[in-house]
This record gives sequence, structure tokens and C-alpha cells, in this order.
Amino acid sequence: MENTSPSPTRQNSFSDFFKGNRGILITILLLGLLPFILALFDGQPISSLLANDPGKSKFYQGLAIEIFILAIYALSYDLLLGITGLLSFGHAMFFGVGAYLTGIMLKSFGWSLLPILGLVAVAGVVMALIFSIVLPRVKGITFALVTLGIAQVFYIVIQSRELVNYAGAEIGLQGVTPPEFLNPISHRLRFYYIGLVAVFVVYFILKRFVDSPTGHVCVAIRENEDRATMLGYNTFYFKLAALMLSGIVAALAGAMHGLFSPIIRPGIASSHYTIAVLLMILMGGIGTLDGALIGAATFRLLSFWLEKWFGGASQVIIGLVYILLVLFLPYGIVGTWKLRGYKVKQGWVDLIERFTGKKQET
Amino acid sequence: MEAGYLIETQNLRKEFGALVAVDNVNIKVKPNIIHSIIGPNGAGKTTFFNLLSGNLPPTRGRVYYNGKDITHLPLHRTAHLGIGRSFQITNIFPNLTIFENIRLACQALGRGNFRFMRSHKKFKEFEERSWEVIHQVGLVDEALFPARTLPHGGQRKLELGIILAADPEVLLLDEPTAGMAAEQVPELIDLIRKVQKAGDKTVMLVEHNMNVVMSISDYITVMHQGQVLAEGTPAEIAANEVVQSAYLGQLYGDLQVN
Repeated sequence: MENTSPSPTRQNSFSDFFKGNRGILITILLLGLLPFILALFDGQPISSLLANDPGKSKFYQGLAIEIFILAIYALSYDLLLGITGLLSFGHAMFFGVGAYLTGIMLKSFGWSLLPILGLVAVAGVVMALIFSIVLPRVKGITFALVTLGIAQVFYIVIQSRELVNYAGAEIGLQGVTPPEFLNPISHRLRFYYIGLVAVFVVYFILKRFVDSPTGHVCVAIRENEDRATMLGYNTFYFKLAALMLSGIVAALAGAMHGLFSPIIRPGIASSHYTIAVLLMILMGGIGTLDGALIGAATFRLLSFWLEKWFGGASQVIIGLVYILLVLFLPYGIVGTWKLRGYKVKQGWVDLIERFTGKKQET
Repeated sequence: MEAGYLIETQNLRKEFGALVAVDNVNIKVKPNIIHSIIGPNGAGKTTFFNLLSGNLPPTRGRVYYNGKDITHLPLHRTAHLGIGRSFQITNIFPNLTIFENIRLACQALGRGNFRFMRSHKKFKEFEERSWEVIHQVGLVDEALFPARTLPHGGQRKLELGIILAADPEVLLLDEPTAGMAAEQVPELIDLIRKVQKAGDKTVMLVEHNMNVVMSISDYITVMHQGQVLAEGTPAEIAANEVVQSAYLGQLYGDLQVN
């Protein structure tokens, strides 16, 4: 995104870009090499990897793609909650609409991919506009409840018997054939790289948005909406802008989910899925964008490994891990990293206090 | 609407249930002066301010600014007309830097609010104006720290800076010295006066500190129980017997006016 805006200091800003995003660029590079590294450890020849033969590398590519999808979804929620301060409990609707629209259009109407993505983006805007009807009237927790209500309506509609031929009722939408060049089974490596590019394109677009005058006003609205209004900002339009951008991104994440997963379950449109994304950005660090990426990865990998090791008991352990994270990393992984360790010490003190009931000397 | 006045209210009234907070107030404010509103607690000064700035809708009556009816204008529009407002309780962005507080105020009335794919750093004019204002209010050394780290007096100065950044014609200051240490008050008062003189601005002031009011004001309106009790220059107000018995007499009997 950096060099799309023409400016006399283009060279300069380009090198600044590399300097300022070193960590992210290294992550992209590592993720780009990841399938090959995994194949190397597994003793799988490169030709076999490129032919998408089954193996450890292919399995972990699938897991990584799920993380990419969740990361895009978490980024969109971070823009809404972390940057603009709008607490929406209906975010899963955006994701669900994206996924279902993609599935239905592919399966029942035979549309090709590009028009579908356009339609999904439009749907994201339309849903943002629906949310925006209540935006000027309610704030805080009331807005959360209204959005929860709207999203639950969609969750019920998508499971209705009347739509069973399109959406598959409570079982979910099955038998969607993605376009051949993006088939997650036979062309998974390609899907992996497209997902990787998508995550970081979205990341840099959102980062640019946060850095723009519009984004700064969004932060101001989060911090003190009344003051922002008194300065002369019509805060409604800024909240609407954030809601629209967030809606488009979440719906596109849903579309990716619709292409990737063999069954589109109604669960992705339920409030559970909103809570999940809330957890992701709380774990990663709210309002940091990087936190959304790390939170999504932590969330998925935790549930994957804990399920592998502990089976049915994993839910309890995941709960424990969340409690520990809140105790030791109250600002999330990225947020606490930026504060450098101070809060980790505080977490120990809190924990000892809780168990012994005695106040500790710090 | 008479000519020669910047702000004029007509029969302004605000009721909160059975309580009449502001009762048929007619005030005319001349341009380029410091006009103070004083009165005991509960006189309706802050409510009157809220009606002027549009934070509260009046029950009855009108507010005119520059001959234009602004009674029911949305809050965010009043800033665009050149009215800046500070609050009795400090109202800033506590977690943003002082520089960003001011920069946001500059940006509010400028262009580019919806250029959302362009870095805010490309809008140099806002940054230059911000530094100007930061120099003016004397917060240069602290400019890049979060606003919450400022002491109370500094936050009051910052709030003045936020208002000044938009270069308004009228400053509505609600108890700018509230909660400040006594030795910091003269500094802020000097600042307000300097700002008013330098920019030919109109300042409306709600203030409790009598010494401040008497020394800074060009014109004073005394409010009592929602109504205007008296109006006049500081000397006239100090000499007014009704005011003395209702307000000054009890509280500030030993006041010296020079």
C-alpha cells in the first residue's frame, strides 16, 4: 500500500516502510517458506509437495489456511472494537453471510469467483448500513445487544427449513465445489499462498487506514466521543466508515472460509463465533492489529494442540489458559510485549495473593 | 436580532422536570471582549453555557450567533461556525499524546478527513498549526507524552489549546481555573487574555474566582436562580447593591475593586 500514493518522497517512504515493518516482513518470509520447511523435515521431495500429495506439510498448510481466515476475520473485528471502540456482538453475521453467499452462489447459481467476491463485498457494505441504522441512537452495551439481535435473526434464518435447498438448514451447506484452480484439496499449496497474500494485504490496508486522518478520528472517537463531536467531527460518518471497511473484510474472510471448508456450518454465524473473535483480539492485544494476527494464530493452535493432547478435556484446559492469559497478559500478547514485562510480574503477585490470601511485597 | 452583537439569546429557558435551571435569559454579547457570567452555585451558569454551545436543547427560546439561529444546530456543526467550548470537568483525549490532541482539533475543520488511504503525516499543515498552538499554550516539552500524564493545570492549558487550534471566533470557557493550584491561576488568566487580544476573539467565561473575574472581564452578567440579576462593567457590578446583597455581599464582602 505504501507506494500507491504519489509523493515526492517516494523512495524515502519505501525504505521507511521496510524499516518500520521488519518483524512483519520476516514473518511473511518465514510463512512463505513454511510448506517447504515442513516438507524438508518430513523427508517429502519438493516435486511431491508441489503436486499437493498428502503429508505433514499439506496437513499443516490446511491448519495455516484456517489461521489466515481467522486472522482476516480478527483484523476486521479489531478495526471495529480495538480502533473505533464499537462493541458489536453481531460480527459473526458478516462472516456467515460471506461464507453462505459464496457457497450458495457457487452451488445453486453457478456464478464464477470474481462476481461472487464483488457480491460479498457489497453484502458487507449493506450489512454495515443495517447496523448503522441504530448507530446514532445507541451506544456501548446497547449497541452490542442490538447487533447481537440482528445477527441472531440471520443465524435463525440460515437454519430455517424453507431455505434447506440453498443453505442446508442446521446441518450446513455441503457439496460446494470451489473453482478448480482454487480447490483446497488438489491445489492446497496455491490456496495457502493466496491466503498468505490476502492476510497481509488486508493487514497493510487496515494499518494504512488506522494511520490515515480518518483512522485517527476513529481512535479519537474510541477515546472520547463527546470531545470528538465538540471538535466538529460528525462521528456517525467515521463510525460508519469503520463499520463498512470492517464489514467488507469480515465478509471476504467468510468467503474464503466458504471456499476452503468442505461444509459451511451455521455455527459460523452464531454468537459463539463473535465471542471467538473477541477472544482472539483480547489474547493478541486489542487495538494493535498485530495482536489480531497473533491472537488468531494462538487461538487456533491452542485448540488444535490441546485437543490433540488432551482430547475431551481440552475445553477445560483452554479455559485455564485463558484465565492465565488474562492474569499475566492483561493487555494481550502484543499489548503486553509493548509494555515489556511489567505486567507479567504483576500477574505473579496477583496469583500468589489469590491463593495465599496474603498481600505480597512488590 | 440587534446589530453589533455577536451572540444573543432570546427568552432562553431550560427546565429539568419541575426545576427551571435557566429562566427567560436574554443576554447580548459584544464582539472582541471578555464577557463573564458569575453567580452562586446552582444559578444556571453551566446550563446556560450548554444551551449556547448546543450540548443541551432549550425548552424554549432562541440562540443567535452572528445573526444566525443556532438553537437546534447539531453539536458538531457549532465548531464549524467558530464556537469553541471547554468544560468544567477537563474534557480531553487522555490516552493520546498532547500533540495528537491538538492535531485532531486542527484536522477537524480542515480537509482530508476521509482520505483514508493516505497517511496523516502527509497533511503537514495540521502539524505546523499544532506546533504553533502548542507553543502558544506552553506545552512544548510535554508534547509527545500522553495527555493523562499532565498535571491538572497542564490539562486545563491543553484544553484551551484544543479550542484554540480550530481558531474559533468565540471561546466558551466553563471555569477554566477550576481545581487549579492558586499559583497557577494567574498564568492561565494571562494566557486567556493574551489569546483574546492577539486574535480579536470573544471570550465568554464562567468563573467562581472573584478576583479573576473582576480583573479580567470587560463585561459581567450576574445570574441568580436561573435569571439575570444584573449586568454591567466590573465596577458597576461591584457597586450594585442588589448583587452585593445576593451574592458578593455574603461571600466577597472584603472585595477590593480598583
